[in-house]
Amino acid sequence: MAARRVPLVLLACGSFNPITNQHMRLFELARDHMHSTGQYQVVGGIVSPVSDSYGKQGLVLAKHRVAMAELALQSSNWVTVDEWESQQPDWTETVVTMRYHYGRILKEYERSVGMHNNSNPSPQLKLLCGADFLDTFKIPGLWRDDHVEELVGHFGLVCVSRGELQPERAVHESDLLSYHRHNIFHVREWVKNETSATEVRRALRRGLSVKYLLPDSVIEYIHRHNLYTEDSEMRNKSAVLRPLVKQAQEPVKSLDD
Amino acid sequence: SIDKLKLATSMEGHSITKVVLLACGSFNPITNMHMRMFELARDHLEDTGQYKVVRGIISPVGDAYKKKGLIEACHRLEMTRLATESSDWVMVDSWESLQPEWVETAKVVRHHYEELLAAEQNIDDVDTIKYAKKRRIEENYHKHRGKSSRDHNGLQLMLLCGADVLESFGIPNMWKQEDIAEIVGRHGLVCITRSNSDPYKFIHQSDLLWKYRKNIHIVREWVTNDISATHVRRSLRRGQSVRYLLPDSVIHYIKEHDLYSSESEQKNADVVLAPLQRYTGASSS
Repeated sequence: MAARRVPLVLLACGSFNPITNQHMRLFELARDHMHSTGQYQVVGGIVSPVSDSYGKQGLVLAKHRVAMAELALQSSNWVTVDEWESQQPDWTETVVTMRYHYGRILKEYERSVGMHNNSNPSPQLKLLCGADFLDTFKIPGLWRDDHVEELVGHFGLVCVSRGELQPERAVHESDLLSYHRHNIFHVREWVKNETSATEVRRALRRGLSVKYLLPDSVIEYIHRHNLYTEDSEMRNKSAVLRPLVKQAQEPVKSLDD
Repeated sequence: SIDKLKLATSMEGHSITKVVLLACGSFNPITNMHMRMFELARDHLEDTGQYKVVRGIISPVGDAYKKKGLIEACHRLEMTRLATESSDWVMVDSWESLQPEWVETAKVVRHHYEELLAAEQNIDDVDTIKYAKKRRIEENYHKHRGKSSRDHNGLQLMLLCGADVLESFGIPNMWKQEDIAEIVGRHGLVCITRSNSDPYKFIHQSDLLWKYRKNIHIVREWVTNDISATHVRRSLRRGQSVRYLLPDSVIHYIKEHDLYSSESEQKNADVVLAPLQRYTGASSS
């Protein structure tokens, strides 16, 4: 009998300022790839916009970023928005967000399985990210070592790249990532579709068209609320990114969670 | 509408040329990138302060083009119609795709330019009169062939294309030189290029293109959006997701009609492309 596939949920964390077609494309690519391994059945996708306290330049209010993501994902039957992270008063470490969602998913799974002595594999949660994500592990003060360990060791990563060696090199150059390399899945995106939210905001500020880069419903929302302007881009301009402040306050205690 | 085509005048008082953008190609199938090219071109032209883009026309090639994997024009037309539904200025035109033989791009440009002039001159009465007037317009057109098309009523038709078309001008037997002169010299070209390509080098290397360089508008696409229809067909054959690369309505249509398969990709597999047949006299055995 063929081994049962592991139910898998993909979580994408980020600013989504605003969400673009490219963000949703990452989910499609990752799902196809994970299915092609023969080991996983992707049962859901979660978009988790970061909270306002993240302190990134040009970050508009979370309620708008959540509303835009909801509009964009209306047409998807498997990816949804979750506002838990965006509603936290302080910035939440990615691993903490993952623990929250994993707890939720497990509870739901146990409820659905009930009291049966079931041989089905337990669901897993993996973080979906872009090619440059692995490089952020190297930025001093941005990640706690134990969090990186938990993220790649316990949960796992699905990393979409456009054929650059960047993500593979990042794994190669880190002993920790190399150790967990079997839990880091590389997905190759053959179609170049580098619609970055930064470029979208730039075009919006300059009054240029962004049609076909984001869904029409999101573009309408942006115009209706006049979201991306010279002024909005100045938000948090001289602020320090919250992770750098928060984690500098608490001494980095490895492996004592 | 004709109203839209009336001569516009800028605030400074100098006249603004109204532009109609025409995109020719297989559209097999149309992707978001094709639609994006129109948006980029319009922004770029209007930013110069000299142009007002009033319309975009997508003209899918006819089946006689004989390109490998080219599915029936009726399906390509319908998908293009679906994709342009959400646009208030880009539309599909079936004239080229309905011709029994492959039509040179210069002729397609000429056809649409004549249509525009006819609309401009408000010809909508009886068919016979329309025909006579149209012929007069055509004669006029040929008389003034050497002149730039914008001499007429401040209305200009420009061919919208990717850098690959500009480069194809250099492929032997792909284009007639007088056709290039007519398209670029008389009408104009809007060419969307990736930030890593160098179209100016190409113009520089061609005496013909260099002569008409002022009619070539280069638009840089800073956000790379390299969705090729070839890639989309490949993904469809392999059962991979193409969502967010084309409008949902087009994906739905493709699935409903089971359009792209290994078999459809073999269409015209051993046939020589119509333009190459025509200009070299090659046979398509």
